[in-house]
Amino acid sequence: MCGENDFNKLALLLAALFLAGCTSPQDEVSIRSAEVGFAVKAEPAWTEQAIAQEKVKEIKQPEAPSKQAANPINELNQPGISPETLAIPSIGLEADVTHLGVTDTGEMAVPDNGDELSWFSPGYRPGQRGRAVIAGHVDDLDGPAVFWDLTELEPGDEIVVSGEGRELRFKVHKMESVPLDLADVDSLFGYHSSPELVLITCSGTYDYDRGTREERLIVYASLSEE
Amino acid sequence: MKKISVSLVAMLVLLSLFGSLVMADNHGDMAKVRVLHASPDAPAVDVYVNGDLTLEEVPFKTDSGYLEVPAGTHDVEVFAAGTEYAAGEGVLQADLEVEAGKAYTVAAANLLESIEFVVAEDSMEVTEGQAKIRVGHLSPDAPAVDVGIIGGDALFSGAEFPGITDYAEVAPDTYDLEIRLPDGTQVLPLEGTELAADTVYSVFAVNTVDSLEVIALVDYEAAATPDEMPTTGLGTPQQSQSMWLLVGGALVLIAASGFVWRKRFQ
Repeated sequence: MCGENDFNKLALLLAALFLAGCTSPQDEVSIRSAEVGFAVKAEPAWTEQAIAQEKVKEIKQPEAPSKQAANPINELNQPGISPETLAIPSIGLEADVTHLGVTDTGEMAVPDNGDELSWFSPGYRPGQRGRAVIAGHVDDLDGPAVFWDLTELEPGDEIVVSGEGRELRFKVHKMESVPLDLADVDSLFGYHSSPELVLITCSGTYDYDRGTREERLIVYASLSEE
Repeated sequence: MKKISVSLVAMLVLLSLFGSLVMADNHGDMAKVRVLHASPDAPAVDVYVNGDLTLEEVPFKTDSGYLEVPAGTHDVEVFAAGTEYAAGEGVLQADLEVEAGKAYTVAAANLLESIEFVVAEDSMEVTEGQAKIRVGHLSPDAPAVDVGIIGGDALFSGAEFPGITDYAEVAPDTYDLEIRLPDGTQVLPLEGTELAADTVYSVFAVNTVDSLEVIALVDYEAAATPDEMPTTGLGTPQQSQSMWLLVGGALVLIAASGFVWRKRFQ
């Protein structure tokens, strides 16, 4: 008797839980990305340039004190790095970066798992002039994935990209969630006169017809130091 | 060969700046503009666009990098840094027009007493595997010059102040270049100049002739872009799952209550 009653109660409880789960909004990705976005003024380009030139002088002068001024055209050489890992200390993120191109349908390719990030390797290298793009999943079949917490970023947060024995630091200056059809791919992946890093993940509500979310969360960061 | 690219009359420029460019989600009608301070005796300047302070304390020999600005005509006015703005009171003013999808360099050139804008459209393309370069003569008292290989051909002939040449496309390589007078006298050596593939350069000769120097800028570097954004979620949330949860929950509820009812009526 007793056992039967318990069973009934348990069944009712389970049913109530199921139903409760359904009535409350539960697509957390869309909730978290509903109200995101900011933009701050980037530092004027000449500030960075002045700093960079000072650094160059500090390094070069002891080595070649007698040489005449370096060829200013060669000082433009800024090849960037081939990224291996990416870290965002403010949200406790650290991940490996794979190198991918495009899919058969022309999309930027992404990893087949929720742990790794992918750099669009036919595009600009991190640290090169232009926008280097790194994408990651917001969720996977088990729940939150590598870029789950990207919405938590704030202006000034640091992103560290490492590769080829170098470490580049970028500062976040803009975040926006953009409807997929309005995303300006050419600009996002395009040339910029200073090195920028662009992070992309999915946001917004899920579109079952298209099999993907309706928006993309885009984070912009500019190179601050090496 | 020397194509003098216009002082203000002609084209373009720019920016209602950061505010609007940051907020613009549609880049389809935007242009790119960079401002270069090339007036040797002018102080650092503030640049106002349509009355808004857009660039602050730009010193001689520096450029702003490309700023995205809406296509259209903009009132650009230059003041000595720190001067209070008053429409029409600047040392330099122009209504500049920029076209969507194009890039421009706007240089403040010449000595302060006769400061002027020199404007050129910048190239945003280069043949794959090639390098592109052009030179700007922005040294107000320097004579016409050639730029070429030391002991070899000129790449650019007869560049005069204030002018910016057309681009020349060359194979990526290291070149021993020089700026020289048409009679061959060297003005400034640029030995070991490395020109990289897929890159577009502008090289500006600035300052007065007795202290002539060069500002080098990259106008563009080519790289591939995908056609579409990535699909960055592996999960499929809510609806289908929650529908099943809903159905499952309802079934359990019905089963459980049926069980209870049955017990009551037994």
